[in-house]
Amino acid sequence: MTTLTINGKQHEVELDESMPLLWAIRDLLGYTGTKFGCGIGFCGACTVHVDGKVMRSCVTPVSAVKDKSVTTIEGIAHDGKLHPVQEAWARGDVPQCGYCQSGQIMAAVALLQENPNPSDDEIREKMVNYCRCGTYLQIFAAVKEAAKLQGGSA
Amino acid sequence: MSRIVNVSMSRRQFLGLGAAGAGVFVLGMSLPLGNKFARAAVNNSGDGTLNAFIAIREDGGVIFQNTFIEMGQGTYTSIPAIVAEELDITMDVITVEQAPHGPEYKIMFNNTARFTGGSNSVRSSYDTMRKAGATARQMLIEAAAKEWNVPAGECTTEPGYVLHNASGKKAGYGDLAPLAATLQAPAEVKLKDPADFRLLGKPVGRTDSLAKATGTAEFGIDVQVDGMLHAAVKQCPVFGGKVKSFDASKVMDMPGVVAVEEIPDGVAVIADHYWNAKQALEKLPVEFDNGSNASFSSAAYLEKLQSRLDDTGITAEAEGDVITALANAAKTISADYHVPFLAHATLEPMNCTALVETDRCTVWAPNQGADFVAGVTKDITGLPLEAIDVQTPFLGGGFGRRFIMDYTAQAVTLANKHKGTPIKVIWTREEDTQHDFYRPMTAARHRAGFDKKGNLVAHHITNVGEGPMGRLNPGFLENPKIDSTVLEGVEKQPYAVPNKRLDYVHETVAPVPIGYWRSVAHSVNGFIKESFMDELAHAVNADPVEFRRGLLTDAPRYKKVLDTVVKMANWKTGTRKVDGNDRAMGVALHESFGTLVAQIADVSIEDGEVTVHDVWCSVDCGFAINPAIVTMQMESGIAYGLSAALAEEISMKDGKVDQANFNSYPILPPQKMPQVHVQIINSGEALGGIGEPGTPPIAPAVCNALFTLTGQRIRSLPLSRYTFT
Ligand code: FES
Ligand code: FES
Repeated sequence: MTTLTINGKQHEVELDESMPLLWAIRDLLGYTGTKFGCGIGFCGACTVHVDGKVMRSCVTPVSAVKDKSVTTIEGIAHDGKLHPVQEAWARGDVPQCGYCQSGQIMAAVALLQENPNPSDDEIREKMVNYCRCGTYLQIFAAVKEAAKLQGGSA
Repeated sequence: MSRIVNVSMSRRQFLGLGAAGAGVFVLGMSLPLGNKFARAAVNNSGDGTLNAFIAIREDGGVIFQNTFIEMGQGTYTSIPAIVAEELDITMDVITVEQAPHGPEYKIMFNNTARFTGGSNSVRSSYDTMRKAGATARQMLIEAAAKEWNVPAGECTTEPGYVLHNASGKKAGYGDLAPLAATLQAPAEVKLKDPADFRLLGKPVGRTDSLAKATGTAEFGIDVQVDGMLHAAVKQCPVFGGKVKSFDASKVMDMPGVVAVEEIPDGVAVIADHYWNAKQALEKLPVEFDNGSNASFSSAAYLEKLQSRLDDTGITAEAEGDVITALANAAKTISADYHVPFLAHATLEPMNCTALVETDRCTVWAPNQGADFVAGVTKDITGLPLEAIDVQTPFLGGGFGRRFIMDYTAQAVTLANKHKGTPIKVIWTREEDTQHDFYRPMTAARHRAGFDKKGNLVAHHITNVGEGPMGRLNPGFLENPKIDSTVLEGVEKQPYAVPNKRLDYVHETVAPVPIGYWRSVAHSVNGFIKESFMDELAHAVNADPVEFRRGLLTDAPRYKKVLDTVVKMANWKTGTRKVDGNDRAMGVALHESFGTLVAQIADVSIEDGEVTVHDVWCSVDCGFAINPAIVTMQMESGIAYGLSAALAEEISMKDGKVDQANFNSYPILPPQKMPQVHVQIINSGEALGGIGEPGTPPIAPAVCNALFTLTGQRIRSLPLSRYTFT
């Protein structure tokens, strides 16, 4: 038995610990908000937080996170209230197909934790996940908006 | 024309309306009886009521069954908004569901088709959806008038309510629904004056944003069914090859493995969950029979296409006498172009879940046409269409890939062998890249002639290749000998040239599977034609904008789109310095899917890399139903086209695709996204599409800028094959 802490909740699972975290959370634990895009750490669709830092779960074996705290897109809203990043995403109508957006949002949450008031250049530099629908400009704008909602920016 | 009918009393009323609760007042559509699909359906149902589009519940909630799927392009917002406008409801009371498959939902093109693609959704259903909404509203008014005993003509509506101003009476739609359900639908209804639109023409918010911002939106890959098993698949890497043998015994003891099965062109390992299936698949000894294509290479095929550029082929269009005009011209130029195969690379890889039982079957398939899913399922299982339930989740991108049912066939094949067990097939990115239905490689030659005064007097185009329609849907071709999906984008051009000819040389690109890729041949011909126009302008030392304007004397709509973008960009000829670096602008103008788009790209070379700073984009789609979505689709189309222009290419050697994952098939990263500025022109002309027309002009706009910048004329893509300094 391996214990995985996902969104503050402990799960006991029977698995081979070399299994990528992505498939453990999706197939074994049912957190399907985190997506599979490439499986080689390139696209960022599978982005989650491990101890608050972005991590590409498709190339992260369970063994590397078993004593750590994992947060997925399902775990960032609190008390029925959207995370400001989600708020900015929904209000700004950022998603098109939406497939990359869980990963984008997780990347944005981490970026704003690191720097609550990032510059345009920093946003462009740090938001590195792929979006095949080309929603990049909306993503950049929503990060700014989220910073405002969080009170990071005037 | 189809007729809107009250189907509240029909035994078919609940068709597909299960999930969100059935409505009490259900409006459907009766297809014209002259239509063969309608006849079949009438005979089946016995009552002539053929579908259910709008259902109003007693709580005032409205269920809308959409025949169009959502893959990012906004159909779950724009289509219900058309209904909401005429029905007079707010968007937040609408639940959008995907309509089931079946002939009764073929509402496109005189009730002959139902699919999502070709940038057709809004323009093919606009009139129908307005009429459906207006009919429902009229019936609710009549119900209120009856209840209040007042003339219907004295009643009006505000969103969700019928009002009688004289008496001050007011009733909610939900309360009126039971009575409305007993009324006959009027044969004629008055549609709103567009001047009174509340929703159409406004940036109505998307209905799917919240679900997609919270990770709760369900994509095909997320489908979970009790008792479900997972399958990982490996197809023969060589097109047309088959499985020769495999040794299941080597992996049956691996964790979670349940079965190893042969599928069309490949093998599948079925396990308790995906990772176990994939692990076992990697260990499975498989031998393929590569068949007759094992020596195929795309480079050899390019030569083959190019070797036919001298052929006459079939003349698809001709005006004047292009041969004589070219022979007599004071100056001629000729240029050969070609473009590579391209993959769709939807971010959600191909996947499908199926459950086959003895007398019924459910398929959860991301698809661009529910009837295609039902058809392939019927063929495999032998079940009648009525016994097949197609569930369409959100698509993690489509771009034309999910018309093709290869992945669906795999899941249904496996589920058919394991009756009673739901099976989900997920492709790896590598399978997805190497087993796509590619935008075809195409070669073209353009020749032009000028008279002594520098007037363009002749333009002769030869396109060599094969189009997806000729390969996949030859029945749709207007002229079976001419594949419009090779020629679209150079047909019916607005530029005034007295002598012109368009020739088509059919040369198959088999064995490569080809398909519809966002904007189809417009992605090919937009690049080639607009690059060549730029060559022509430079050949006579004309400004590329003025040169085009001079040829658009009879095309004021095009001229306006061009003039608009020129103004937006503050167009500059030649190079200029910005931050110490050379910059140049390039322009392109292209019509596709009924929509005119002009783009200007501002480009520099930074450390040898093509950098697109800004793209200005003017678009005339007749009337922008939702200007926010139009803008987003322009951005999206530009990103998709730029991605291909910069670095996308599928090549093949030894019968196999060279590229496998995003490290070898690089899609546009965020850092390369230009600033995009969109201006919409509501010309009032017929509605055009919006999902694709943003794509064709970006490659030529960028390449034309590169010519100004470097003197290098780009006659093939991608740009990553060139060196710039
Ligand atoms: S799926 Fe993990 S980075 Fe692409
Ligand atoms: S919204 Fe479709 S991949 Fe990003």
